[in-house]
Amino acid sequence: MARIARIAVVVAMLGLVLTLALAFRRDPHDIRTGTVGKPAPAFSLARLDGSGQLSLAQYAGKTVVVNFFASWCLPCEQENPALVRVYERYRGSDVVLIGIDYQESADGGLAYVRRMGISWPTVADDDGRVALGYGVFGPPETFFIGPDGVIAGRHIGPIDEPTLVRAIEAIRTAATQ
Amino acid sequence: MSSRIAILAAFLAVAVAIAIAARPHDPTAGERVDRITAELRCPVCQGLSVKDSGSETARQMRDLVAQRVAEGRSDSEILAEFRTSYGDWILLSPPLSSWSLLIWLVPVAALAAGLWIARSRIRGGAVLAPPPSPSELASLRERVAAEEAAEG
Repeated sequence: MARIARIAVVVAMLGLVLTLALAFRRDPHDIRTGTVGKPAPAFSLARLDGSGQLSLAQYAGKTVVVNFFASWCLPCEQENPALVRVYERYRGSDVVLIGIDYQESADGGLAYVRRMGISWPTVADDDGRVALGYGVFGPPETFFIGPDGVIAGRHIGPIDEPTLVRAIEAIRTAATQ
Repeated sequence: MSSRIAILAAFLAVAVAIAIAARPHDPTAGERVDRITAELRCPVCQGLSVKDSGSETARQMRDLVAQRVAEGRSDSEILAEFRTSYGDWILLSPPLSSWSLLIWLVPVAALAAGLWIARSRIRGGAVLAPPPSPSELASLRERVAAEEAAEG
């Protein structure tokens, strides 16, 4: 009986250690919350440069990287060079980058876009509805949408170039298989 | 007689007033918004509900809830919309799912296992102590008798 109890304690301890090890291995930037694995919420928002509306539907069949940013967000400035490099790398390909200005006026967003040299399409989500639909906690956050319109991944916080390229290539590889 | 009628009438009036006040009534749109937002966690706050938070995100969430209420959506439909975006985390009292149930069950199971181990140890200890043999009993009696004689 005492032997069974000892074995049970050891098994329980091993289970606890395994659970903690698996939990701590996960990168907190890649938390899989609500929208990952589900169809990306559709949106149609006004472009910051005033050139009309941009809707997600017009990029159907492409790999879409949606980046939530704001001019008041310092980590957004930190990640911007990586986004610029990745945009240039995939320019003219099946990969599209869209910037969604989060919780600020279009004027503030446009000034930031010009100052940071952002040339990919940017739109204003001034009432935050799109951000709420995607389950955004705060900028910067980046979502990776596959050609099938499903959110394949998300990254919370500033993102770097290798992470962007890895996520994009994973979607492209999965799409070709 | 008239005073009794007056007291009875007063009692009746109070009872009717209580019944009217206590009767269930349909919540107003504002009450529904308050009730729903009290259940939602503010994503940018530390443990605050959307109702209690003054953040911009909470304000936008309250606006969205108010719009959905005005559109005629039910409470559960509105909460489900936020759960789709943020997961169960967005609810201040998340439902019991397989993983959250595990969090509740593990401490109970650990306590039960501990009690079971302690019980088996105690029982095992009692069983393991052998009863004194007749010779041991005799020597113990002699020792007690000697101690009693020494004390006088």
